[in-house]
Amino acid sequence: MESLKLPKDTMLGASIVTLTGNREAFIENYKGILEYTKELIVLQGKNSKICFEGRQLAIEYYTNEDMKISGSIDAVRYI
Amino acid sequence: MLHWVQYIRGYVTIKVWGYSTERLLNLCGNHDILVWDIVNYGEYDTMNISVRGFFALKPLLKKTGTRAAIVRKYGLPFFMSKMQKRKMFVAGLLCCLLFWMLTAGYIWNIEIVGNYVLTEDVLLDYLEEKEVHVAMKKSRLQIEELEKALREDYDVITWTSVQIKGTTLCIYIKENEMPEYDQTGQADEGTGTDLIATRSGVVSYIITRSGVPQVAPGDTVEKGDVLISGAVPVYNEDTTVRKYQMVQADADILLRYTESVSVKKDILYEEKCYSGRQKKMFMVGINDREWNLGLGRIPYGEYDISGEKKQVRLLDRLYLPVFYGSKTVQEYEMVQRNHTEEEMNALMQEEWRKIITTLEEKGVQITEKNVTIKKTDADWVLHARMELEEAAVQTAPSKTVAEEETSTEEGEQPAEEGQQATEEQPVED
Repeated sequence: MESLKLPKDTMLGASIVTLTGNREAFIENYKGILEYTKELIVLQGKNSKICFEGRQLAIEYYTNEDMKISGSIDAVRYI
Repeated sequence: MLHWVQYIRGYVTIKVWGYSTERLLNLCGNHDILVWDIVNYGEYDTMNISVRGFFALKPLLKKTGTRAAIVRKYGLPFFMSKMQKRKMFVAGLLCCLLFWMLTAGYIWNIEIVGNYVLTEDVLLDYLEEKEVHVAMKKSRLQIEELEKALREDYDVITWTSVQIKGTTLCIYIKENEMPEYDQTGQADEGTGTDLIATRSGVVSYIITRSGVPQVAPGDTVEKGDVLISGAVPVYNEDTTVRKYQMVQADADILLRYTESVSVKKDILYEEKCYSGRQKKMFMVGINDREWNLGLGRIPYGEYDISGEKKQVRLLDRLYLPVFYGSKTVQEYEMVQRNHTEEEMNALMQEEWRKIITTLEEKGVQITEKNVTIKKTDADWVLHARMELEEAAVQTAPSKTVAEEETSTEEGEQPAEEGQQATEEQPVED
């Protein structure tokens, strides 16, 4: 796989998470939202769930391709 | 950026609550409905959604078992509906815009820079002639032609630049700084100038600097006589005239003559006697019509109206045809009075003083005077007989040589003076 140099997210179906400090997170390639509160946002990726823990979490925008979370992020966990 | 686009299309802020709001978000994403600014408040979520999206939301709400309510509306479509009730406002706005666009096509101010010899009034009048004035259409202005015309019509202007800056017409001028030599006094080679008398009289004083004098002190001359001739004869060795050399005649000449002047002053006169009663009022005017405010009928018999009038002015040079000012009506009575002796004396002195001043200004000297004042019951008459001395000469182009020959015979003396003038150039055969 490595030698073909193909992009991993397309091939593996993995989600891409871009964090800007602990203030913003930009997520691509996910299936949907599972849970959403001010302290916890849980997303469904291809094989696993991604969990954002923090305070005052808000979703700036949400489309089926990408979404942006803003707020004070404490932890990112993969379940 | 996105914000503005959404504003034009219109969007709403909605409150969503129910069973699973997360599922609603997923469905929105799948159905390509854009939602943003999603905030979770525990019981409910608030989010922004476009108007189009909102209408497409209905089946999704049903599917997820959630409910939505509009909290706020943003956007142009909502604004327009509010404006339905305020049509005048919108109309006013449009009118304003239109007015602004129209008036930007006219000239509202003229600025002239760099003129020193030519006054602004002179230039403004000239521009008026060329149909360039405030409140003219910009499109009617021809800049190239105007620049050319300015350069041609005024010798003193060496360079001009005309620009339109916004609604101001800027005219830059550079004037000729080199002093002009006075060319008028010099005649061409070949023609000379004479000095001729401007009035009849007796020559009392004559000193010639150049030219041939035709008269001597004590001669009586008529108006128009040639006093100094510009044709100087050049003699051959046997004292016959070879040719005439034309010069500018120059001399100091004084002519003496008599003149009588009489001035009459009546004793009886009418005087305006102001009673002291007056009324003030304001006036406004448009074009030529005027309205006086603050006055009904004028109760006086005879009266004077004096006042001041100002024109409304905007922006330096834009004058509106609207005037305002104040008027004062003063009552007077015409009274017939006699001057007293002292008054008559004073009047006579004044008249005499005026006569003398006029003469002094002209450079005339009074050598003798005989002043009488004749008094009758009705009037006084001042009669003056004066002998005046004046440099009453003016230059004129020389007459032809043929005419000159007859008048040079008058005196051989003057010829010698003429010869002295020519000795500087040796006569060679």
